[in-house]
Amino acid sequence: MTSSLHVTPSASDTLAVEARHLVKRYGDLEVLRDVSLEVPEGSVTSIIGASGSGKSTLLRCLNLLERPNLGELAIADEAIRFDRNPQGDVVGLDRRQLQRLRAKVSMVFQQFNLWPHFTVLGNVTEAPMRVKGLSRRRANALAEHYLERVGMADKRDSYPAYLSGGQQQRVAIARALAMEPRLLLFDEPTSALDPERVSEVLSVIRGLADEGRTMVLVTHEMAFARDVSDQVIFLDRGVVGVAGTPHDVFEDSDHERCRHFVAPAV
Amino acid sequence: MNTVSQEGLLDWAGPILQGALTTLEIAVLAYAIGLMLGLVGASARLSPWAPLRGLATAYSTAVRAVPELLLIILLYYAGSQALTALTNAMGLPGQIAINGFVTAVGVLAFVQGAYMTEVLRGAILAIPKGQLEAADAFGFSTWARFHRIVIPAMLPNALPGMSNLWLILIKDTALISVIGFSELFFTIQQAAASTRAHFLFYAAAGVIYLLMTLTSTALFARLERYVRRGQPISEEA
Repeated sequence: MTSSLHVTPSASDTLAVEARHLVKRYGDLEVLRDVSLEVPEGSVTSIIGASGSGKSTLLRCLNLLERPNLGELAIADEAIRFDRNPQGDVVGLDRRQLQRLRAKVSMVFQQFNLWPHFTVLGNVTEAPMRVKGLSRRRANALAEHYLERVGMADKRDSYPAYLSGGQQQRVAIARALAMEPRLLLFDEPTSALDPERVSEVLSVIRGLADEGRTMVLVTHEMAFARDVSDQVIFLDRGVVGVAGTPHDVFEDSDHERCRHFVAPAV
Repeated sequence: MNTVSQEGLLDWAGPILQGALTTLEIAVLAYAIGLMLGLVGASARLSPWAPLRGLATAYSTAVRAVPELLLIILLYYAGSQALTALTNAMGLPGQIAINGFVTAVGVLAFVQGAYMTEVLRGAILAIPKGQLEAADAFGFSTWARFHRIVIPAMLPNALPGMSNLWLILIKDTALISVIGFSELFFTIQQAAASTRAHFLFYAAAGVIYLLMTLTSTALFARLERYVRRGQPISEEA
């Protein structure tokens, strides 16, 4: 690796994500200004920062829910083929490649985004069946396995609207896992939950980190980020303020706004 | 007044039931085609491609602006004249008459499609964005996203409007009588004129339309319960 980021050595030296000089604008507002990021296979990366720092936008660029205006991106060793105009601005995407890559990258959303017209089981089997072409039998077996994993197997026939937020988020995690993705993205997975429901979701995520899954988390749970991450990125007004091990970011940073931001957790 | 005329309600029961059946056939076919047109129209209205959007907007605006009676007459007479001119020009002599059933289904479906476009467009716009984003994030194809997520997610929003359109359609089939096609209303007119028992036959027509609409209202209510199966009871009320 020729990384300028201080990443702890991990099980593998292939990269799940390699982003170079990403820029994302909404009109005149530049949300990401030249952000580079490497996520080694098998590692956990947390993106922290104040609201408006661009952390959710950065995460959503990694599965192209947001299309960056400039920069390069490789997911699972495959460079994204952007259509560019002569100035190098990204103007389009290769839809087929996009669908193929998205099948390898699963996202867990802040608002869960379960499909209300499917049961819990239906939510988990839908993408493996429609996107990966699995038979219903295999998809069901996979879904049962992951619902068991997140402790939601007994609710398989319920509809999402009848579950608590924490339960819905655990189903959403099972839905993401059932795609057996190379990379898991978490967009503030506990921010919409009642305080007493946060720990049940965090403990599921912690279990996944312990399994050595490749994950990128955007989170406000500082203690959690410090605890589970191999790499922490403090994003500050659209640029990487500090990046490194949890120790580098939480205890040893000379970046003033970063020190100020993490102070309550230290 | 039955005593005055030679024939009564019973003599006309057969033709009237036949007319009612024809009315239902027209309505069901026109509704099915209108629904397809509406799905295409709504997708076009929401398309990122401006020419397609413009075409769909023109369709739904123009059709909804013109009285259906006028459209029926236009398509029937102008259509048969145009076809006759066309075949004559190709060297085939004679008159072409458009089949009344085809005209009825065609015009009503065309009109339904325009209203349906707007009902479905609103229903699709009301789908919470996150549900569609989840489908995108998991790599759904455009078609899988449409028929597995968009359609079932918009149906709870669309069904009340769709049920309205169905009721209006049943009643609009009566307009077809102007081209002399013997659906329910035309048959009733014949019966009333022939027996001079006007009130009796028009009242019978009213009862038959009422039976059709009441039955379909019950069916739509069941359908709505089904498409709302994932939603808590409080929202059903």
